[in-house]
Parts: sequence; C-alpha cells; structure tokens
Amino acid sequence: MKLINNIFTSRSSTTEAPIIRWAFTLLGLGFLTLVVAMPLIAVFFEAFRKGYDAYIAGITDPYAISAIKLTLLVAGIAVPLNVVFGIAASWAIAKFEFRGKHILITLIDMPFAVSPVISGLIYVLLFGIHSVLGAWLVAHGVQIIFAVPGLVIATVFVTFPFVARELIPLMQEQGTEEEEAAILLGATGWQTFIRITLPNIKWGLLYGVLLCNARAMGEFGAVSVVSGSIKGETTTIPLHVEILYNEYNFVAAFAVASILSILALVTLVLKRVLEIKTGVKGKH
Amino acid sequence: MSIEIKNINKKFGEFVALKDVNLEIKPGELVALLGPSGSGKTTLLRVIAGLEFPDFGEVVIEGEKQEKDVKERNVGFVFQHYALFKHMTVFENVAFGLKVRKKNVRPSDDEIKDKVMKLLSLVHLAAFHDRYPSQLSGGQRQRVALARALAVEPNVLLLDEPFGALDAKVRKELRRWMRRLHDDIHITSVFVTHDQEEAMEVADRIVVMNQGRIEQVGTPEQIWNNPANAFIYDFIGNFNEFEGVKDARGNIHLTEYDSRPVKVAVAEHEETGGVFKSLINKMLSIAEPLNITEPRESYSPIDKVKGEQIKIYARPHEIEVVRVPQENEYISGKVVHINPAGSTVKIELERKNGKIIQADLSVEIFRELKLQKGSEAFVRPKVYKVF
Repeated sequence: MKLINNIFTSRSSTTEAPIIRWAFTLLGLGFLTLVVAMPLIAVFFEAFRKGYDAYIAGITDPYAISAIKLTLLVAGIAVPLNVVFGIAASWAIAKFEFRGKHILITLIDMPFAVSPVISGLIYVLLFGIHSVLGAWLVAHGVQIIFAVPGLVIATVFVTFPFVARELIPLMQEQGTEEEEAAILLGATGWQTFIRITLPNIKWGLLYGVLLCNARAMGEFGAVSVVSGSIKGETTTIPLHVEILYNEYNFVAAFAVASILSILALVTLVLKRVLEIKTGVKGKH
Repeated sequence: MSIEIKNINKKFGEFVALKDVNLEIKPGELVALLGPSGSGKTTLLRVIAGLEFPDFGEVVIEGEKQEKDVKERNVGFVFQHYALFKHMTVFENVAFGLKVRKKNVRPSDDEIKDKVMKLLSLVHLAAFHDRYPSQLSGGQRQRVALARALAVEPNVLLLDEPFGALDAKVRKELRRWMRRLHDDIHITSVFVTHDQEEAMEVADRIVVMNQGRIEQVGTPEQIWNNPANAFIYDFIGNFNEFEGVKDARGNIHLTEYDSRPVKVAVAEHEETGGVFKSLINKMLSIAEPLNITEPRESYSPIDKVKGEQIKIYARPHEIEVVRVPQENEYISGKVVHINPAGSTVKIELERKNGKIIQADLSVEIFRELKLQKGSEAFVRPKVYKVF
C-alpha cells in the first residue's frame, strides 16, 4: 500500500510524482531509441553483414579512399575559414555598436533557414557556366562548380553559423571590460586579442569547431548539387554513400556510412567533455 | 599631473550624457565625482580615460591635449567589477602592463618580477601572487586591480565606483586604505561614487553632478555647509522642508506654525507665611487650591505676516523638539515612529497637513521629553537654509 502511494505522490512542490517522471523518461528514451539508436546500430549491423573482410574491402576501395581524402580536405579548409569568419563576426557583434548589426546577425542565421539543396543551387546559379560570373571564370580557366572549390564554398556557407552562434552569446556575456583594461594598460589591439579575448573564449570556440566539423563532414544536400557527384573527383563521403547505395552495393554503402557514424559518436563524446569543461568555467 | 576638462559635451543618441562640463584638477589631488545614476559621472571618467570620445571639448593632461589614442594617455583605471584577467594569476595580472610594452621599453623579467612583488606587498597580497582571481574575495580582487593599474606608473589614477560591489564593512576599510595610499603616493586621482558619505570621507574636493552637468565643486566642508542649491542639499543628506515667508525686513517666518494656549497653574497665597504653609501642605500631601490664570493669547495668525513665499530646509539634527512651546513659531506634530538604535534617536512626526518631519535627538533630550508613539510635540528648525 505504502509503495503504491509513494509512486503516485510527489515528494516536493517542484517535482512530479515518481510515476510521471518515469513515464516521461521512458517516453523520451523510447523515442530516442527508435529514431537514433536503432538506425545507428543498424548501420554497423548492415556494414558487417557479409563479414569483416567485406567491411574492410568497402572502406579501402580506391573511390572510398578518395572520398575520405576529399572530405578531409574540404573540412580542413572550411572549418578554419569559419573559425576566422566566426570570431571576426562575433567580435564585431559582441563588442561594438554599429549600424547594420541586426542585418549581420540575420545573415549569420540564414544558412539554418535555407534548405541545403537551395544552398548548393545558389552557387550553381552564381558561378555556373550560364551565369555572367561563371562565363568569366571559365574564360580564365577557373572552375568552381563541379570542382573542389565549389565544394568548399558550399560547405563554408552551410557551416558558417556554428562558430559564430556559439561565440556571440559567450562574448556578449563576457563584456568588454577585460579588453578595455588591457588597452588602458598599454596593450595593442592584437595583443589584447591574443592574450585576453582568445583565452576567454577557448572552450566555446572548441565547441563551435566541433559542431562545425561534424556538419562539414556530413553535409549532403548543398554539396551534392554543387559537386555533380563525379566519382573519384568530387565525391565526399556522404555523396559516395549515396552512389554506392544507388548501385545496390549495400554492404559497401553501410561500411562507408559507418565512418560517419563513428565520427558522430566521437563528436558526441568530445561534446560531453567540453560541456563539462565549460560547466567548470561557468559557461552554459 | 594636472587635468583640465574643457567644455566637454557628449550625447548617446538622444540622451545627453554630458553638457558643457568644465573642470580643473590640480596635481596630486583626490577628486570625487558624486551624483545619482545617470548624472554623467562615469561617462566623464571614461572620457578622461579615453574610453569614450566627447562630441565637443577636450581633455588636457599636464598641458598636453589628449588625442584619440588611448594607449598614449598613460592613465590607470580601476573598474567597479575589477575586470581582472580571469585566466591569469594575480602576478600575471599585475605584470600585464609591463609585459605588453614594446621591446625597447620593456623591462627585463627580473625587473618585472621585482616591481610586481613590491606592488603586491603594498596592497598586502604578496602571498597570493599565484592565485587566480576566482579564488580571491571581492576586497582582495579590488586591491589586485589597483596594483595592476599602478604597475605602469600612470600619470593619473581613475576609479569607477571602486567599492560599489563590496559589502559595507570592507568598503569602509578600503576607503580608509585608499585615502592613506593616496597620502603616500600623491598621484592625481579621480573617483566616481554615488555614496556621499564616501565622497565626504575620502576626497580633497567633490564635484557634484546631476543630469550631465556639474552642480557644484568644493571641499567636503563647503558642500556640506554651503550647498549651492536644493538638489545638492537633498542629495547630500536627509532634510525637512517647511513653508515660510520672508517679510519686508528680510526676517524669515515659519508659516503653518501653531501653538496651543497654555494653562499655567499658579498657586496664589493670600496670607503671609504662605511659603511655609505651602511647604507644610506639600508635606502633608494636602492639595492646594489653584487659581488658573487666563490662557495666553495665541500669536497672530499667519495671514497677518506678509512677504515672499519661501521654502525653509533643516536637517534632522537641526530640529528642536519640545513638549511645551515657549515661543510661538512652532509646528505641532504627532510622533508616529521612533528609531532608538544608534547614537541619536531618530523620530518621525506627522504634521497636521500629513507631511512627515524627521528629527534626530540626542539620547538625553529624548529621555527628558518622555516621548512615545502618539505623543504630541512641537518642532522648530533651530538652524535652517533657504534656497
């Protein structure tokens, strides 16, 4: 009797009764299991369906290797570029007042609002052969669309918000006093940035880089439109997975997909570590 | 280093932060910028520092007009919330100004260490040199901030409500400490505060500001004894306001005064030996017959005194309180509140027109008057100001 009573009554005015808490927790876990955990497990299950050797063959295939290399290259350019842009934009927004500030903030958020396919399409329209700019570029031997530069630009666009959105509230919260103090003590702008601003945003920056990287490596829609999916030349890992799947080469498809899944798991672990670190520092 | 502030004007959008501000600060002086929130005092301090630029006007330090570059001004600044570098130790914080100097003027590491430890000893924090700001108390952090500002040997020291974020006891200690430090170092200093007690206690001169303008500049005594206008009088301390009339001869009269007719008991003795008789009667506790004289006439009512309408101001300790008015320009009131805690007893009386009078009485006088909540009493300003 007492047990039943305990389950149905709440201990305090700000928590629900145990049964309600359990019900919601199970509901949440159930949803996550269905939508996240099961597919993830399925990827590995399917990847190893034909055995370990088939799995290795799938990921060491020359086209797969070139896809992995290209993914690393694109992320390796896009993420640092976004770090620079992100820090610059956050710095401007958090520390200064200027006209058009709100427009900048809206522009930063735009990639989130735009469908990835459209994000890719805009570059095709802008730089493709049929546009004014594109004709000029081709005349000078520069190829953007259906080539690596296009991949990089599209990826930069799509992953731009991550670093900036992470840093803006952080820098706003930190305010300008430390920087003012540094300037008054005689530091140059650059010295202030390196010695004062950067160390203060360290953890937020790493968090933003982590998210930015995860998206850069996993982006499909925009990159698909811009690259033309030329096997061995302009396929990143996600695009290669699509090609394999369309060729009915399921095991290889899942094998390559498992690389992204491992990336996702590593990202989650690092994210948790950084959350703990920033918690210690008093952020979030 | 002297500071001259010439004709400074500054607006933030539509809000006028500073209007026609002119001020001269002598070398080695400790000046307080005192005023309520929004008076412009912090803006003025930041203009001197070079953190804000005025729309018009200029700042001249030791004869040199200060141009745009903050770095060149060599001012030390202490922020209200310390602005210590969170990720650096106390030592690194204080050494920062020296470490970022250009190669040719940068002292050697040993020289830096020497200087920093000297400064930390000055602020009694040498033992904390390897701690982080998060490990220090508010008072300690503020001392580190001060040491850091002094490390670069500035011409001028500026402090923005330096003790605002600290509790009362620490604030008092640091106030005294800052005064002593200034007496030792004699660096021209300007500090901002909204606490008039602090300004009175620490500063050589006080600049009272309100709504972007300077209301008055003077020593603490000058400001206290001769406030230039009602705003300063009000800001500096509590006050009571009375209505009055200034007659043709320039005499000040309190209006709304009143006093009751007083029934004076006088014992009249017809026989001789009356004194002895009274005495024996007293000893035997025999009540004496009393002859009650006619009550005194009350003073001519207010409309008989003509003149210019004025307001009379008096501080709570300048109010006289009696049970029985001896003369006639008294105002009657009922005691509504007694606060006995402290070296003076603070009472509040309610007048017939509903206004409250605050009076501070010494403990002896309070006891003599035997006042209680609800007692009726009469008040009069002994000393007062007219604006």
